Amino acid sequence: MSGNKDSWWGPIGLLLFLIAIGMDLLVWNFSGGVEIYSIVQNMIIGFTLAFGMTSLALLVVSLSAVHKHMRWQEQVLGLAVFTILGISLAYWSLEESTQSLRENGAILIAGLIAMLAAIGLVFGLLLALITGRTHEPDLLISLKSTDGDVEIELEA
Amino acid sequence: MKAVVNQATAQYKHSNLMYHIDTHACMSVLEEPWLGFWLPIAILCISVGFWLTDRKDWRHRLPILTSITALSIIGIHGATTRGEDSPETALLAVLLRIAGPVSMMALGSLIAIFSGPSPVGPLPKFLRPMGFLLAYGGLFWVGWILISKPSSAIANGIGEIIWSTWVNVFLSMMILVSALAGSFCIVMGERRQKEATILAALTIAGGFMFWTIMKDGSGGLDAAGWHEIHWNQMMVVIGGLFGMITASIGFVYLVVMAERRQPDPDVVAPLSEEEKSVVDAVLRLHLDNLEDE
Repeated sequence: MSGNKDSWWGPIGLLLFLIAIGMDLLVWNFSGGVEIYSIVQNMIIGFTLAFGMTSLALLVVSLSAVHKHMRWQEQVLGLAVFTILGISLAYWSLEESTQSLRENGAILIAGLIAMLAAIGLVFGLLLALITGRTHEPDLLISLKSTDGDVEIELEA
Repeated sequence: MKAVVNQATAQYKHSNLMYHIDTHACMSVLEEPWLGFWLPIAILCISVGFWLTDRKDWRHRLPILTSITALSIIGIHGATTRGEDSPETALLAVLLRIAGPVSMMALGSLIAIFSGPSPVGPLPKFLRPMGFLLAYGGLFWVGWILISKPSSAIANGIGEIIWSTWVNVFLSMMILVSALAGSFCIVMGERRQKEATILAALTIAGGFMFWTIMKDGSGGLDAAGWHEIHWNQMMVVIGGLFGMITASIGFVYLVVMAERRQPDPDVVAPLSEEEKSVVDAVLRLHLDNLEDE
């Protein structure tokens, strides 16, 4: 498999997809099933709310970094439209409840931090393991420079 | 004599009382989640914007000050409210609970990385085992926290939901990312079996914990509760991940659109009639001079 490194993402992507589906099937088996409609509804709520919150964060960052050489109109107005659209849709999906909006916002932040913690843990450990590897000395590194003076003997 | 003393200290007592009233009022205001949690998050975003400005810009000096202010407000909000009060306080309680083991893992990984045989390692080599000890210790601490009974701040209501969501997302991501990194080690070959084995062990351990809590529940939540978290809050987080990616792509699109509409600095406006006549006159003058020569 190591001979064909260019297409590594295909089988690995498939493996991860199968693991993710396997985890859902496991929970499906233990819980006795769930309505697909409610799954889609929850995903739409998460999508719209995260879209609005991310746009709002980017809007605030853009506004605080505005400078005279910047074409800010498209960026600021576009992000304002995205923010209003995302948060309004989420608010409407959550039956116009500000409390639910705050709860789902906190859940999204908790989920994001959990993702970052897991990724940091695994890749930190991997990096620590990889940096411990020892290599055989490379002969090319021990060669000394001739400052461009090269002698070549050509056989007639 | 007593009357004189009272008269002399009245102003001090009054100002002291005002100080207590002001402090209490300030604390009460910061108990409000919009002011005590969401406003500081907006201030943190402003700090990022300030940090991105030019080095000579006056705003470039402010990010540390604004960040400390924001974190202080969040700290006061967390200290003056309880976990059951609001989702924001429950979230802070969750972060406080995982801060220790995650910091331990991060510190251990950094020590192990920078004390290895790699040329970028300025730390002494004898620290490397201690780094791994810290990293694995943090990992076991996280594992113990995930299955043990949570503290009262996150044991009921919205606190329980947020904590369980954190655990579910962390375990799921650990399984997927470990599998990704382990498979990558195998695909790339060249004697990376040791790394792949450790990551495979992490995947299996995470998978076992996931299977256990979904089958039997944990110290604080029964199996039905975990199923509900998986189908409700986990799906919100998955949708949220796609939402964040879409918003980031939208932001990039807006920046590209602004760049495309930027006028091309190489294109110069055509000459006006007056300028044309001046140029014409100058050219004629020089051409006449050349003909005379």
